[in-house]
Amino acid sequence: MRLLTPAVLVATAALLLSACGTTENTAAAPSEAAATGPVTVTDARGKAVNLKAPAKRVVALEWGEAEMVASLGVMPVGAADVAGYNVWDKAVPLTAEVKDVGKRNEPSVDAIVGLNPDVVIIAEERDSPLVPQIEKYVPVVVTKTSDASRNFDRLREDFKLIAKTVGKEAEADKQLSEMDAKLAEGKKAVEGKGAAGTPFLMADAYLEGSTVSIRPFGKGSLVSDTAEAVGLKNVWTGQVDPQWGLGQTDVEGLTAITDPKTVLIYSASEEDVFTTGLAQNAVYQRLPFVVSKKIHKLESGTWTFGGPKSIIFTADQIVKAITA
Amino acid sequence: MTKEVRAPQAVRTAVVSAGLVVLIAVLAGIHLTQGTSTSGPLDVVKAIFGHGDAQTLAVLEGSRVPRLLAALLLGVALGVAGAGMQSVARNPLASPDTLAVNAGAHFAVVAISAFGLSLPLVPVGGAAFAGGLAAAVVVLGLAGGGSASPRLVLVGSAVLLALQSVTILLLLLFEQETSGLFAWGSGSLTVSDLRATGQMTPIVVIAVVALVAMGRKLDVLALGDDNATVLGLRVRRTRIGAVVLTVALTAAAVTVAGPVGFVGLSAPVITKLLLPIAKHRVLLPVSGLVGVVTVLGADVVLRAIMGSAAAVRVPTGVVTTIVGAVVMVWLARRGRGSGSRRPAPAGRVGVAGSKRRLVLISAVLVVLLAVIPVVGLMLGDRMVLLGDLANWVTGNTGTALTFVLDQRLPRVLAALLAGAALAVSGCGIQSVSRNPLAEPGLLGITAGAGLGAITLITIVPVAGAWAIAGAAGAGATVVFLLVYGLAWRSGLDSDRLVIIGIAVWSAGMALITLLIVVSDPWNSAKALTWLSGSTYGRTLEQVVPVALALVALTPLLWVKHRELDLHALDEDTPRVLGMRIERSRLLILGASGILAATAVSAIGVVVFVGLVAPHLARSLVGGRHGRIVPVAAALGALLVSVADTLGRTVIAPAQIPAGLVIAMVGTPYFILVLWRTRP
Repeated sequence: MRLLTPAVLVATAALLLSACGTTENTAAAPSEAAATGPVTVTDARGKAVNLKAPAKRVVALEWGEAEMVASLGVMPVGAADVAGYNVWDKAVPLTAEVKDVGKRNEPSVDAIVGLNPDVVIIAEERDSPLVPQIEKYVPVVVTKTSDASRNFDRLREDFKLIAKTVGKEAEADKQLSEMDAKLAEGKKAVEGKGAAGTPFLMADAYLEGSTVSIRPFGKGSLVSDTAEAVGLKNVWTGQVDPQWGLGQTDVEGLTAITDPKTVLIYSASEEDVFTTGLAQNAVYQRLPFVVSKKIHKLESGTWTFGGPKSIIFTADQIVKAITA
Repeated sequence: MTKEVRAPQAVRTAVVSAGLVVLIAVLAGIHLTQGTSTSGPLDVVKAIFGHGDAQTLAVLEGSRVPRLLAALLLGVALGVAGAGMQSVARNPLASPDTLAVNAGAHFAVVAISAFGLSLPLVPVGGAAFAGGLAAAVVVLGLAGGGSASPRLVLVGSAVLLALQSVTILLLLLFEQETSGLFAWGSGSLTVSDLRATGQMTPIVVIAVVALVAMGRKLDVLALGDDNATVLGLRVRRTRIGAVVLTVALTAAAVTVAGPVGFVGLSAPVITKLLLPIAKHRVLLPVSGLVGVVTVLGADVVLRAIMGSAAAVRVPTGVVTTIVGAVVMVWLARRGRGSGSRRPAPAGRVGVAGSKRRLVLISAVLVVLLAVIPVVGLMLGDRMVLLGDLANWVTGNTGTALTFVLDQRLPRVLAALLAGAALAVSGCGIQSVSRNPLAEPGLLGITAGAGLGAITLITIVPVAGAWAIAGAAGAGATVVFLLVYGLAWRSGLDSDRLVIIGIAVWSAGMALITLLIVVSDPWNSAKALTWLSGSTYGRTLEQVVPVALALVALTPLLWVKHRELDLHALDEDTPRVLGMRIERSRLLILGASGILAATAVSAIGVVVFVGLVAPHLARSLVGGRHGRIVPVAAALGALLVSVADTLGRTVIAPAQIPAGLVIAMVGTPYFILVLWRTRP
């Protein structure tokens, strides 16, 4: 204590002295003059958001939204967990210039504002205290991000909303029709092979020791909608949540799937649970898709909650797998 | 012991054991018929008698038998481990949970997963063993080798909190990599093969046999160290051997299914009820059987109530924790009052200190209270300097910086105020309960507040700040009344209060986990963040409730400092002095509860501050509450503020919730204090 007190005082004094001054460049350059006029977008909250010009400096806090922004040719200035994004979503890689603004569940407000963005895109219901807070400083556009009752329409709305925000509506329309064309083409290819209506199970899984939890993508999940769009049929009928369309089960629960034509499509950007954890399991070995060896792993980095580019990437792989 | 006594005892042992075995057989039978596939009871019965269809056989082999065997192994391992630990520590509250062995093993396993080290199973088991053993050594070492004192549980809880915090931190930072681990962290039986069970079975068998073989030595050890030494027992060697074996059992269980809570606590307790005078050679194996009944029963009941498909989401450990908590409460209510055995709260007490020392400490605290918040405003993801702050105060900063500081101010204030509120609350609760372990977190108050808030968020996802604060307050009140009411039995026994508090705290945390995995399984990160105490996204409005509580109740408690002193002495002195003891106690506890609840609504569930700040204050200014209360308030404010600043700064732009930093920063200090005051 005797030594501690002077030490604390000295340290404090030193800190205070060294901390004088300012960090602000008061002549901070304002964003360059608007090339086009002001835009007003109505976001997922139903709120009209006014921008002086289409946004050039965008921060996107959920991976799906970051992908949409980047795919429109506007590299975001900031995104949450950029390293994680580049592992899980390879459809549209983020460049090294994209600043990491922290984890997806608690992005740093300092970092977001420090990027001096024109707009921040936030997914609904995630980080709700963030929206009103950031809105005091910079316009916030809220997206719906997932809705298991109408995921494709939702995706179109989100994508068009983002496109309008960054002034790339023509590009968005182009990509959406590209996506539609891809899906139609895929559907045709599937039909051509006589594989229309092929039943499928889509899932990912986690393994810890011998403990396996399996997450089936039920009807209404984005990837399920994608597979159905190319003419397949989701056989998972278990309970799923209303936002993402995800269920949860164990290996025994998969015995609900009895159709011998069923195909398993699974996603694993890191640990490959289906081949490492379950291969020796007696129940797993009797599952129809294991018996018929109709198992397809989506490439690492196929983000199952992404934008049109991810849809195209996923649809391509599914079609290739079914028609091979 | 005469023959007349021994004979009925032997009969009783036989009857109890046989009854347990029959019960296990029945439960195992039901267990095999439960599952997410369509293979029903009839199919299973046919299969058992050799006429099963291939599908049922596969389901049995690939899912149900592994799950059953895992449950059996867990039950035996944890039941025997708990009985062994309670004997070594001579403390009925010792268990893999309260000695932090579970937490140590769990931390080791999560760390391996988080850092992407994909190891085969035996090294994972080895890591779990190392983690569990390290925790046990620290806890037992600091507790002075173990005795009946509450010190053991005190140290155990401190280490448990620290380990849990680091584990949660890893889960947060590696959200994507560890998403499967959240449910597993509460003990899951959803095993899909026999690898883990198979590899751990030999360890469990060897450890159980060795412990039972040590039975007579443990009987002698139970007589006390001195008596045991006189009787020729090598006390140290026996104790070390027993600890290593019980830790091995716990680590094996964690490796198979994660930390399945409270089986090790409740199984031996139930066994001692069934066989009150059993020796260790009976006690240990029967505890194993009771452990099996607990695990298996929890799993069977869970799946019977929720349906097997829905029950997949719910970790079995959640149920065993709630069962264990009920046992603990019942045990505490049943037990006699602890009488006069009551050590003074740990920490260097009694240095009343000179006036000079007091002035010096006050001066330092005042300076720090002025400096730390300013530093908190300056540091963060973006560093600002004093000149910026001066500009900000005078309204001359640019929009970006104004915004940064505007959103940083409520965070700094929330940390300061909640820290102070928790510390004052801890002073009141520690004094009244005369228990150094007591604090708002461990009395279940913060868990109750968290449960209230999470419940509201689950029902109304877009609930506003005031609604959440209200729900937190309501939850805290309900849980506080519950703990108080359960602890009340023609008077309030302080030991009972704390034991019931810990039980309710554990049950509350289990319920929070249950609520999250059932309602919003894919958003565990947000819940974890909220639960571990964070100033993230605070607004000035959210800080108001805690500020009001602090302004109104701190002076109230300070004015009552003489009553606090008297409560801290013993049960009789205040009564002799004519104090209206129950009324005073209820008032103090009520005020402490409100302070803790408002703190939770401001920064979430933060434990440890209410424990550490009063200890630290006592070691600085002695045992009088007139001094402790203000000093503890200042220390609590500083502690949380520093933790918050560190959490916002060190790994920016990612952030560590303040509550986790507190546990990590606070624990070493706390352990240091305990080390200096070891007997």
